[in-house]
Amino acid sequence: MLFPAFLQILRRAIAPCLLGVALGLATTAVGAAERTVDPKAAPNDFLGAVANNMLDAVKADPKALQGDPTHIADLVRRYAMPYVDMNKTTRLAAGRHWRQATAAQRDALVQAFTGTLIRTYSGAFTKVTADTAITLLPFRGDLQANDAVVRTTISQQNSPPVGVDYRLEQTDAGWKVYDLNVEGIWLIQNYRNQFATEISRSGIDGLIAALNAKQ
Amino acid sequence: MMPTSPTPATPPARHITARTGLALAAAALMVGCAQVPHPSPNDPWESYNRSMYRFNDTVDRAVLKPIATGYETVTPRPVRTCIHNIFSNLGDVWSGINSLLQGRGRDFVDTFGRVLFNSTAGLGGCIDIASMHGARKIPNDFGMTLGVWGFGQGPYFVLPFLGPSTVRDGVGTAVTLAAPATPTAAVFAIDNVPVRNSVLGLYIVDTRANLLEADRLVDQIALDKYSFIRDAYLQRRKAMLDSRQQGARASTADDLDRTASPADSNLPVYEDPDEPAH
Repeated sequence: MLFPAFLQILRRAIAPCLLGVALGLATTAVGAAERTVDPKAAPNDFLGAVANNMLDAVKADPKALQGDPTHIADLVRRYAMPYVDMNKTTRLAAGRHWRQATAAQRDALVQAFTGTLIRTYSGAFTKVTADTAITLLPFRGDLQANDAVVRTTISQQNSPPVGVDYRLEQTDAGWKVYDLNVEGIWLIQNYRNQFATEISRSGIDGLIAALNAKQ
Repeated sequence: MMPTSPTPATPPARHITARTGLALAAAALMVGCAQVPHPSPNDPWESYNRSMYRFNDTVDRAVLKPIATGYETVTPRPVRTCIHNIFSNLGDVWSGINSLLQGRGRDFVDTFGRVLFNSTAGLGGCIDIASMHGARKIPNDFGMTLGVWGFGQGPYFVLPFLGPSTVRDGVGTAVTLAAPATPTAAVFAIDNVPVRNSVLGLYIVDTRANLLEADRLVDQIALDKYSFIRDAYLQRRKAMLDSRQQGARASTADDLDRTASPADSNLPVYEDPDEPAH
């Protein structure tokens, strides 16, 4: 007596979820058209387009959907990196040591740290499923400011949501991302100590080598 | 390190393992007390911490990680999810109590709603049916409660076996281990010793298995794992506390760290070496 009734409740509870997944599949299949990214738009609009294009690209790539890191990294390179100011990211992480670097060292350091950023950002997309969605939280900064934060949540059915924030700067070409926060942890902040230690131990070339050794 | 044992009548076997563990940890302490090249203001005990980190890492690599990896390989994902959800449901009880202690009434009510729903319709917590209906997990712990109550965090402090912590969070952990409404307390309430030990083992393996992915990522991106983990831990705890101190109600796990966190006053300030002084 009790058991069938319980199954009934269970079925009722689960059916909407299944339906939701089916609908999610249907909408991604239909609406995967790429959004146009406008760096001169409001921060949330600009970033929403970049992040959702990235997500749709992962969903459309079967290997990336399985969590294959090299595939996800390729997509990050294509859909996200054009809107990132890696020079600024690297400069801020290096702090005062940046001044002692030669132009060639600076270029090499930016290149090396780009790999780190790509791997970090890719990490947020390893568990994507058809129902994964990006939610943009309401913009709470000053729209006139040159520095802005866009807060997003990547949520999926079977794992806890991942909070991803982006720090943006207004440039002549419009907004550029220069720092990234995954689950409360800012990328630049987390590398400042590591950069300083590595530079004091083996110099800027040593730091470049250490970053490249991670690839 | 653990002040009071949750159960007074502990079998001798546990004492022995605990004692061996502590002795090993103490030995690890004495081994490495190297000079620290770049002292960080948050980490005055870096030399001790690095030794303890190395000790934990060795234990982890020799024992826990292989078991967790094996567990991940042989156990089908739905089974793992179910087991994880059951422990997580038990953990929600303690999170909810902490929300209450922090004066976050809505979080408390929401979390207890989750526990009730998941324990019944979710088959004893096996299915996180509450999350599927939009009632996301609201993580909370006693270290956070102490922070909300105004206790300073103190230096970074790596705990034996348990890893990254601060003095405040270490006290929080000690209280949590002694508290009556946590997953560990639930496990120790089991009378049958073999069953209890198996469930405890499963709890540890489940916890470790859930960190495997983060571990892989850290391996790929960190230059110095010790300082990467330290800085990430301190940043994350600060973001969590900031969000609570700004009084924002967290309706979902994501909101908790999002609503109040960075946007305004708590953004990191970087000195830009390229900027002309003005």
